Amino acid sequence: MGEPVIRFEKVSKAYGSQPVLKEFSLDISQGEFLTIIGRSGCGKTTALKLVNGLISPDSGRVLVKGEDVAQADPVRLRRQIGYAIQNVGLFPHMTVEKNIAYVPTISGTAGWGKAERRKRAQELLTLVGLPADLGGRFPRELSGGQRQRVGIARALAAAPDILLMDEPFGAVDAITREQLQDEILRIHRERGLTVLFVTHDIEEAMKLGTRTLVMEEGVAQQCDAPSRVLSAPATEFVEKLVCRRREPEVRV
Amino acid sequence: MMELLSSILGLYEERADWFAGLLADHVTLALCAIAMSLTIGLLLGIWISEHPRIAPAVMGVCNVLYTIPAISLLGILIPFSGIGNETAVIALTIYGIMPMVRNTYVGLTTLDGDILEAARGMGSTRLQTLLRVKLPMAAGVILAGVRNMVVMTISVAGIASFVGAGGLGVAIYRGITIYNPAMTAAGSILIALLALVFDLILGKLEKYFKKRGS
Repeated sequence: MGEPVIRFEKVSKAYGSQPVLKEFSLDISQGEFLTIIGRSGCGKTTALKLVNGLISPDSGRVLVKGEDVAQADPVRLRRQIGYAIQNVGLFPHMTVEKNIAYVPTISGTAGWGKAERRKRAQELLTLVGLPADLGGRFPRELSGGQRQRVGIARALAAAPDILLMDEPFGAVDAITREQLQDEILRIHRERGLTVLFVTHDIEEAMKLGTRTLVMEEGVAQQCDAPSRVLSAPATEFVEKLVCRRREPEVRV
Repeated sequence: MMELLSSILGLYEERADWFAGLLADHVTLALCAIAMSLTIGLLLGIWISEHPRIAPAVMGVCNVLYTIPAISLLGILIPFSGIGNETAVIALTIYGIMPMVRNTYVGLTTLDGDILEAARGMGSTRLQTLLRVKLPMAAGVILAGVRNMVVMTISVAGIASFVGAGGLGVAIYRGITIYNPAMTAAGSILIALLALVFDLILGKLEKYFKKRGS
């Protein structure tokens, strides 16, 4: 499979006396869609933020394309990695178009001058399934689902080959959520991205991942194809997690 | 009461040129101080919001300066900068820095953490985060401070004539010394109107930025 795009080498991280990652090691190859699942506080978000250097490890190393994140220039590194978060974090004072063009603009990327910006933003809006004429609107004028899509478009604008997503569909209704999941699957296929996707929804993790990582108390419980996680849960915790799926509970 | 009002109007009519001159002096004096407070206050506010450790100390000093009564601040400054417009501008500037620093600091340090993390995670440099994200988002709160400071400076500039500076305070001061209440009132009314006009304009601007930033 060649060299991994992202490699965790015995990474440990604690907040105060509270350990969130314990000697965590993992290789992620080009083109994988890794879903990371676990309860809140299990270290999944921490693992994600280690990749773009928003958090630095207490011990161990994180390598992105063979380069140690701790040694890399954080600004340059982050501009190559798409980043989408739960609360979207769209800039309220910028139009949708300017939001989408943010990374190329701050990087001074060629081909994103004022004249081309509109066309590029429209292409990205279409890619994430939004009407192309939405560019002039402000984030507050959009629905929750539309904002999530703009967030994804913004993360994709600089054409990164790695995409980090932290519960990006956490705040939308079930139907919109399903549409967004299909959308991200299509984008992953079309663009050959490597995606790290944090979620607390087991069904989402199973549906999207080419591999699913189950975390609990800072330790990887299992990292396998979703079908293997289902058919052969490695630990009791994983078994409990996947069993909770299936039929919805009904009160009456 | 009616008598006072008619004598005020009479004064405006009789001495229109004199009042116009004082008004122009007043605006110039206030604008000089406003420009200085704005620049210094904004820079200081940005600086302490980027270095939170020194913030309490700077805010403390500004607070102390702010509590000195304006008239005694003018008096304290006389040995250093003499009498005249210069002293007035210095005093007004010192006075106006506090609301600017406070609002800039508060505006920049109470922004949505998710948005700032997104800005950082996407590879913004510190300066880019400040100029493209933080300052535009804090513009509403900062502008509220500007408005506060401008109105205060315009009205406090009224006592600048006590240290020999120009402006509408001259009419107030003269009115007091020659026992002409109408003249004092005439000067005060113009100051109030001036402050009101500036407040109205800045209020409109503030509303616009608040709407954009939310």
